[in-house]
Amino acid sequence: MATDVLVPPLGQTVDTVTLVTWYKREGEAVTQGERLYAIETDKATLDIEAPASGILRHITAQPGQKVRVLSPIARILAPGEEAEAVPAPAPPAAPAGAPVPPTPTPAPAAKPPTTPPAGRIFISPRARRLAEEHNVPWQTLRGTGPQGAIVERDVRAYLQSRAAVKAPLVTIGPAITPPAIAVMQAIPLEGPRAVIAQRMLESRQTTAPVTLMSEADATALVELRRQFHEAGIPVSYNDIFLYIAGRALRQFPRLNASLEGETIRLWDEVHIGLAVDTERGLLVPVVRDADRKRLADIARETQRLIERARAGQLTPEEMSGGTFTITNLGMYDVDAFTPSSICRSVLCWESAASSSGRRCFRERSPCAIASG
Amino acid sequence: MALMTIAEALRQAIREEMRRDPRVFCIGEDIGIPGGFGGAFTVTLGLSEEFGHERILDTPISETGLIGVAIGAAMAGLRPIADVQYGDFLFCAMDQIANQAAKMTYMSGGTVKVPLVIRAPVGATGRGAQHAQSLEAFFTHIPGLKVVAPATAYDAKGLLKSAVRDDNPVIIFEHKLLYGSKGPRAERGALSPVGEVPEEEYLVPIGKGIIRREGKDVTIVGKLLTVYRALEAAEQLAKEGIEAEVIDPRTLVPLDKELILDSVRKTGRLVIVEEDNYTGGWGADVAAMVAAEAFFWLDAPIVRVSAPDTPPPFSPPMEQFYVPSAERVVQAVKSIL
Repeated sequence: MATDVLVPPLGQTVDTVTLVTWYKREGEAVTQGERLYAIETDKATLDIEAPASGILRHITAQPGQKVRVLSPIARILAPGEEAEAVPAPAPPAAPAGAPVPPTPTPAPAAKPPTTPPAGRIFISPRARRLAEEHNVPWQTLRGTGPQGAIVERDVRAYLQSRAAVKAPLVTIGPAITPPAIAVMQAIPLEGPRAVIAQRMLESRQTTAPVTLMSEADATALVELRRQFHEAGIPVSYNDIFLYIAGRALRQFPRLNASLEGETIRLWDEVHIGLAVDTERGLLVPVVRDADRKRLADIARETQRLIERARAGQLTPEEMSGGTFTITNLGMYDVDAFTPSSICRSVLCWESAASSSGRRCFRERSPCAIASG
Repeated sequence: MALMTIAEALRQAIREEMRRDPRVFCIGEDIGIPGGFGGAFTVTLGLSEEFGHERILDTPISETGLIGVAIGAAMAGLRPIADVQYGDFLFCAMDQIANQAAKMTYMSGGTVKVPLVIRAPVGATGRGAQHAQSLEAFFTHIPGLKVVAPATAYDAKGLLKSAVRDDNPVIIFEHKLLYGSKGPRAERGALSPVGEVPEEEYLVPIGKGIIRREGKDVTIVGKLLTVYRALEAAEQLAKEGIEAEVIDPRTLVPLDKELILDSVRKTGRLVIVEEDNYTGGWGADVAAMVAAEAFFWLDAPIVRVSAPDTPPPFSPPMEQFYVPSAERVVQAVKSIL
């Protein structure tokens, strides 16, 4: 019996994901449980296992394409079911000695290739016209049409994703024709970066960010970290801030809160997100119950989460449910900065503490507590 | 409104035109002999009783002769309807049609008219290579001929009446599986669409196509029997959420290009279905026309579904494989989605 390959549901907030790659080709044998394809959500890249054993057929989604969760993107056929794919009837054999008739040309017999030859991009005239009307860098799109050609729906999907991350522009004054500048590379804004850009903009438009800065004496903090390191426990400043913030939030519950519409929700639990910069963009894994964990446990957990974030392996669960966020740019010689909260917590703690930064050597660490 | 088969609608058209205009007459093989079928497919059955053998003129088996007589009569002022039993036999009269009928008006600077109608049954119906061809492309290629191909009773009557009144030679192709001929001339596997035909006088203009089903995803152009194959395919595709638009051009020359172009501008995809052979088929010309005039609206290659480049086979299973089926149309559509 054929099994549909369905895009798995990924929590309540994810309805589309990007197909990253197929690990198996059309027609290849697959075994239930082995990795079949990878998808990318706005937060992570995940490998998905084959739901059944058999032959992979009817792939309908190509790498780069956005697919809806729970939609079928291929089928796995039992070996016997191969016959379903109606083969073109063979022409009758000519009797020996008879003149050979010209080969019949029934239209559907020859299956065109499913991808353009290497180095070529196929785009339908209709899609190209639409792309050029809207200044779409179509060379960067992946085609889903016949022979892998970019077709109208691919351009429309791009336009839709572009519209989703772009605020409407209001033109004031006469339109200005931009000077013709040679484009080195056109990178479509998509995946996590598109989501980050959209959330940042929304945050700036819907919140009133205020930044307060205060310098504190960090002598004891630096000493504490040194002692941990001497004891063979690698604790970062981030871990210490997480620990401190967790305890502080328990003491001041009104700061462990989120603004949701007209309501300020005070959370009964303390889960702290840690902003991690990765090649895919900003990810915020969450340390749960940070107010109750020992510093060494926090250190072990952040190390694990950061590694998973950089490897693109974080699950949606590992990135959701934060009640407070810490971000630290101290390692980049930054003295202070203003946050753009993409979480809904009323407070973000922006810390510019650095293990090698100037101020820490003077045993003073600048910390920014920002309401945003 | 009366419900009629195409054979009955054609018969009524001839009867009305013969009553209206004494210059109209029929000429053909066995079209009026007592006890005969009324031509090969019953279209002229009973007409000799009303109009007599002077106007329902039986000839020997000589297409060259009867088409020549008809052309001469047309040039001299009569309005003949010539019947060739099977379109395949038009080849016998090719010089008369291509060199004489089609060119007289041009060569005479418009002083000579050839108001001739030739009725030619086409389509593969278990009769083998010489009684089964789809000949439309041979005649659409000749300047000076008009070519019509009705697929419904309404169009058959309206187009035949328009053809009789046209001052140019008009060839009307009729599909054997669509006649709805009865009795000994009933065709195995016939679709025999029965359609409503108004009681009152009407004409279907030559050169106007019609949308048989509206859709937004793909345009399917068929003619004669393949209009019905296209409609069947559209029905199957609709179950999968694919909305096909089915166009019946009704007239092949002059072609209602705008109807097809407008549809392709909407859908971006074109599938052409015909029973003709692939190479040089009528559909090839439609494909070329669309590629030339609506290229920038196309979202996929144009696909043609046709018979292969062989004569129609005699064996029924082979013939089934040979003629385009609804399934092949569905496959063709899916190949460009």
